Amino acid sequence: METKHNISHNYLPHQYEETAKPSINHNFLQQQFSDYKEIFKKMEKVVISGDFTLGRDVDLFEKEFAGTVGTEYAIGVGSGTDALFLSLKALDIGSGHEVITTPYTFFATIGAIAASGAVPVFVDIGEDLNIDPSLIENTITKKTKAILPVHWSGMPCNMEEIMAIANKHELHVVEDACHAIKAKLNNKSPGSFGDTGCFSLHPLKNLNIWGDGGVITTNSKELHDRLILLRNHGLTGRNECAVWGYNSRLDSVQAVIAMHLLNKLERITESRIRNAEFFDERLSKIPQIKIPKRAPNTKHVFHIYAIRAENRDELQKFLIENGIDAKIHYPIPMHLQPAAKSFGYKEGDFPVCEEVCNSVISLPVHEFITKEQQEYVVKKIKGFYEK
Amino acid sequence: MSNIKIKFVNLSLQFNSLKPEIMPRVISALESGDYILGSEVKEFESAFAKYCDSKYALGVGNGTDALFLCMKALGISSGDEVITAPNSFTGTAGAIVAAGATPVFADVEEDYNINPSLIEKALTKKTKAIIPVHLAGRPANMAPIMEIARKHNLDIIEDAAQAVGAKYHSKKVGSFGIAGCFSLHPLKNLNCCGDGGAITTNNKELYEKLGYLRNHGLKTRDETIMWGYNSRLDSVQAAILNVRLKHLEKIKERINEVVSMYQEGLKGLKDAVKAPYDKEYEEPFYHNFIIETDMRDELQKYLLNKGIETKVHYPIPIHLQEQSLSLGFKEGDFPVAESQAKRILSLPLYPELANEQVNMIISAIKSFFRQ
Repeated sequence: METKHNISHNYLPHQYEETAKPSINHNFLQQQFSDYKEIFKKMEKVVISGDFTLGRDVDLFEKEFAGTVGTEYAIGVGSGTDALFLSLKALDIGSGHEVITTPYTFFATIGAIAASGAVPVFVDIGEDLNIDPSLIENTITKKTKAILPVHWSGMPCNMEEIMAIANKHELHVVEDACHAIKAKLNNKSPGSFGDTGCFSLHPLKNLNIWGDGGVITTNSKELHDRLILLRNHGLTGRNECAVWGYNSRLDSVQAVIAMHLLNKLERITESRIRNAEFFDERLSKIPQIKIPKRAPNTKHVFHIYAIRAENRDELQKFLIENGIDAKIHYPIPMHLQPAAKSFGYKEGDFPVCEEVCNSVISLPVHEFITKEQQEYVVKKIKGFYEK
Repeated sequence: MSNIKIKFVNLSLQFNSLKPEIMPRVISALESGDYILGSEVKEFESAFAKYCDSKYALGVGNGTDALFLCMKALGISSGDEVITAPNSFTGTAGAIVAAGATPVFADVEEDYNINPSLIEKALTKKTKAIIPVHLAGRPANMAPIMEIARKHNLDIIEDAAQAVGAKYHSKKVGSFGIAGCFSLHPLKNLNCCGDGGAITTNNKELYEKLGYLRNHGLKTRDETIMWGYNSRLDSVQAAILNVRLKHLEKIKERINEVVSMYQEGLKGLKDAVKAPYDKEYEEPFYHNFIIETDMRDELQKYLLNKGIETKVHYPIPIHLQEQSLSLGFKEGDFPVAESQAKRILSLPLYPELANEQVNMIISAIKSFFRQ
């Protein structure tokens, strides 16, 4: 009689529990919770000091984070979405402008561009599931102000080519590195190439807090100085407002959590990579499975482990029935979303992206998934195709 | 620099008193793995709507976002004007600008709230809404404001960021306009441990649209029907709020006690110090206790030397800020707000303030004016 499995993407229930229970779930948060007491002690200091808004703990975290990414500055904000939006605002990108990006990304990337007032212009993806640089120049117009590459799932984009195009055409680059903390491209971090890098600290990210949060990285003092005003009502002092701003701040209590996990991030990342390598090795032997292109000079951090599979929908159903939380990132590409109607795209405009969306399926690779569970997943996938 | 004996706020006292209730709730929220718009948020929204005499409530990122999202949901944008008060926190006007609209101001009355009789002269063909601010926890005079809005077909979005629990003619603020916007920031009467906000409404269509706008426009996990924003109340913060909301009426009672002590104690100084007194239509829930005096700066220094911390909400009105230059206002445009800005001073006000401390503050103010 086979063990009943519950292999979820959500590790959150496990992230802090004192006796970690295995689960083949994408959400690891419950498992992650085994050292919450340590975190609470640190948080209590913040609460007692009453230093809730942009306090010392945010400063400390920002410094550490900037060091991790390798930029001069980091600015803690309310979410990855806000990081993208504020970056565009700080660069004066908005109404009347175009921003080149990928249709294969989470809604927030496109939402942030739309929120700025600019129009997103899509470029198809390549076999690595990231924007295909060779297709960018054809979409540049007089209105283009920036390229917004997405380091999707933690796989770094081909930044060398993208930066070359941006420099040639005098375009800004805002990097969506929301999935990509600790990733590397030739030993340089995503988020340190463009004008700004945008990161998410959302609960399901590799570096995760207990709610929404984000970070912007930059080497530009001018942008840094602008962003710290924009995130905090334009306040230069307690009573003076130099510019119109927003409220988008990383909470002090969340900065404490982020700092705590930043110290464990190396280990968390390595375990994801090991788990992904295991799946790569076993699943590449199945002819109906296609592993995305892995580049030798990159370090992919696997926020999402995505493969392409034949009969994807049936496979997903089968895996779920067998206790495996297989997810789809994403069944409908951005250019075909109901909200994108006014952009005027149609099916067939981005064939690689559309094909990926029809065949992609994600498996959990978080640090709480066990070897036994991974073997089980492989066995089930094999069994599905052997039927 | 003297030792502060009475801080302006004392959040650590507040936390310690509710810690035994809050911690287990936070832990269970964390153990659920349900961090974004989970069951704690749903529970808070239901309880908060009820508390605010409204049908619906939504947890959002902060009070500024609450105003912004309402304007977006109502289609207010570039080319539109929104009327509000110039003496509010900058976030009120900032939200209007963020929505793409232009803030227009109408001067205030002696209770620091918008003067309804000055609203109509600020109206133009472009005006789409009025944002009355219930400053410092005292309700604006909603009846005449609503009459003007009705007459000119304008929406009312209440800025109740500082006024949770305040009542106007026995009904909670936030339940009068098409929507009410609240801040749950740590310094507010109902507060969490980071940024947080809430919107209340009785309008089902608006409620549903706001539900999309705060969460990337998502109809399902895979489909977005409108490009939205990310502005959500964290589950962990909702867990804290669920505990605090239960104690809010008790807190209000104590705040009212302290306010009464201040009002009584300062009666004798009525020529030198103007203190707030409740109008017959209001049941405030004071967020700040604001007094006015010609010798404001000197009084503030004097109190600080005696170890009493006070603040000014706010010394520079919005229309005179550097950010407002392009709006074209100048000194003299809003004489009441401008004069008040030079004279106002907020005294310490929180439930954990001891009676002896309140008396100490009153004595200190009295002794300043005896000099």
